[in-house]
Amino acid sequence: MTDNNKSYKVKANEFVFSIDKNQTAAADIIQKSPTEFNIINNHRSVNATLVDSDVTGKKLTIEVDGESYEVEIKDELDQMLDVMGFGVATTKLIKEVKAPMPGMVLEIVVLDGQDVNEGDKVLILGAMKMENCILVHTNAKIKRVAVSVGQAVEKGQVLVELE
Amino acid sequence: MQKILVANRGEIALRIMRTIRKMGIQSVAVYSEADRNAPHVLFADEAVCLGPAPSNQSYLNGDKIIAFCKELGADAIHPGYGFLSENADFAQKVEDAGINFIGPSPAAMRIMGSKLAAKECVSHYDIPMVPGIDKAIEDVELAIEIADKVGYPVLIKASAGGGGKGMRIVEKAADMKEQMERAISEAKAAFGDGSVFIEKYVSSPRHIEVQVVADKFGNIIHGFERECSIQRRHQKVVEETPSAIITPELREKIGDAAVMVARSCNYTSTGTVEFLMDDKMNFYFLEMNTRLQVEHAVSEMITGLDLVEEQIKIARGEKLSFTQEDLKLNGHAIELRVCAEDPLNNFLPSIGTLTKYVKPVGEGIRVDDGYEEGMEVSIYYDPMIAKLVVHGKTRTEAIQKMLQAIKDYKIEGVATTLPFGTFVFEHDAFFTGHFDTHFVKNYYTPEKIKEKQKANAEIAAIVGLKYWMEQQKLLNPVDNKSTSWKRRLAH
Repeated sequence: MTDNNKSYKVKANEFVFSIDKNQTAAADIIQKSPTEFNIINNHRSVNATLVDSDVTGKKLTIEVDGESYEVEIKDELDQMLDVMGFGVATTKLIKEVKAPMPGMVLEIVVLDGQDVNEGDKVLILGAMKMENCILVHTNAKIKRVAVSVGQAVEKGQVLVELE
Repeated sequence: MQKILVANRGEIALRIMRTIRKMGIQSVAVYSEADRNAPHVLFADEAVCLGPAPSNQSYLNGDKIIAFCKELGADAIHPGYGFLSENADFAQKVEDAGINFIGPSPAAMRIMGSKLAAKECVSHYDIPMVPGIDKAIEDVELAIEIADKVGYPVLIKASAGGGGKGMRIVEKAADMKEQMERAISEAKAAFGDGSVFIEKYVSSPRHIEVQVVADKFGNIIHGFERECSIQRRHQKVVEETPSAIITPELREKIGDAAVMVARSCNYTSTGTVEFLMDDKMNFYFLEMNTRLQVEHAVSEMITGLDLVEEQIKIARGEKLSFTQEDLKLNGHAIELRVCAEDPLNNFLPSIGTLTKYVKPVGEGIRVDDGYEEGMEVSIYYDPMIAKLVVHGKTRTEAIQKMLQAIKDYKIEGVATTLPFGTFVFEHDAFFTGHFDTHFVKNYYTPEKIKEKQKANAEIAAIVGLKYWMEQQKLLNPVDNKSTSWKRRLAH
């Protein structure tokens, strides 16, 4: 494999791009100062600022158009390790209802062992004075209600486990 | 007036205290245990803790606030907006305790605070009203009956409410029960009064409101309109003045109507008369907000008034120092509410620590906020972090200034409505002024913001990768095949 075919997986916030060396070589970028760049991409002239860089950790923070992007570079070896790591993770599948946002559990309307249908209300989550009904996304049996009324929950926290 | 207690938190408490200080008056802050390090507490001359974080144990505890007022010798209370600001019983208790309530009289609040009484009061004047009005209720069965009569879709509104809290549109009868229960429960939690109001939902309306200022001598003026049609979840997110579609003739007409509404209840202090406007430019009286509005700043920018200062002067018994003819519309002002909500995820609250917080600065840019870097946006209060307000000579200039200010506003740690603001201000419908309260429903999808973010992310990725590769070569000279930034162009 020649050096120029080397492909990188570059993560910028939640977006992932595959970029090879030819692409970076072809990119029309000028460096205005040690931390300021201008790139012309699809005829769009965009300024980018390097806010932070960790070269050995392959992590950089770059600001584009006022928004900050955490850039993480993965070379082929990193990617291979990731794939091996993912192999283990994908076998684990848990059915559960998670909190779509942080909030306070105001009311729980299901019990352990209860059968529920898709779209049924499970509980009511309150945050910033708004009340939101949390619904179940599938037909299932409630295995366990993992929270209690009055409890503050984080985004992504498991509220109810399903069988 | 020597000392004023500000019974509120966040940006509005701070904004009020700034004017209080400007006028040479002492300020007292109140705070909950969650707000000890909030800017309004640090700014005030004196501060008292009301109790635990939940508002019903702190900012809504009127008796405690009055007691502290007496203890500290404060001779007036400014309630801000939200919390106790439209609670007539509280205003009455304040007056009974011999303390000056900076706002309208309890009687005027009572009339306008009850949508039923408001309609009744206004009906003696020649002011058009929204069709299908009934009464404030807490009875679910009765609500279903009323909705059937009025015809779906109907709007459920908290009788004591405002700001979209306890407000629901119900499309069909089957949803009525559930939505009523939620609305009542929300209204109870937010305002301590669960009764709701049901009316016919008018489709494709614009939300136009008029600022009024009234002294205790019967002088009432209007400070022009505010266009507040860009909303999500029935809550305003963008406001501007003047409205892009209102002609000088219509401005005078709607302004006069607003003054009449204020006169109908012997209103004093600052207030806002809200109207719905249909696509034929007919306007209907909706309600009057008997408080300082969140979006008052845009009116200040085009009139040059300090509305809090006017409120304080009126409360002190002073006459208005200007007439309607003195007020001139100067330029254009726009406000974006910067809320801790994720526009990519249905505007759900986004809670966390502000790991980065840098405000935009510049001529004609005003930021009213109540947060600083490192502070936490908690689940207990309103998600609004700040109000970003800009002023320009023309609407176009104001829009451009706003877009730049959004770019310069750096907030990390929570998702905010800033990217949504960019979407709005770059949108054709906003630019041409052809939009209604369904702007979000008609034009907005998260994908549109996502696409833009993806394009920028790709740029960040390419620049980042290229920079990293260059740095690698510097660290590893053997590998260095000299592709410096400048020489790259020669390939």
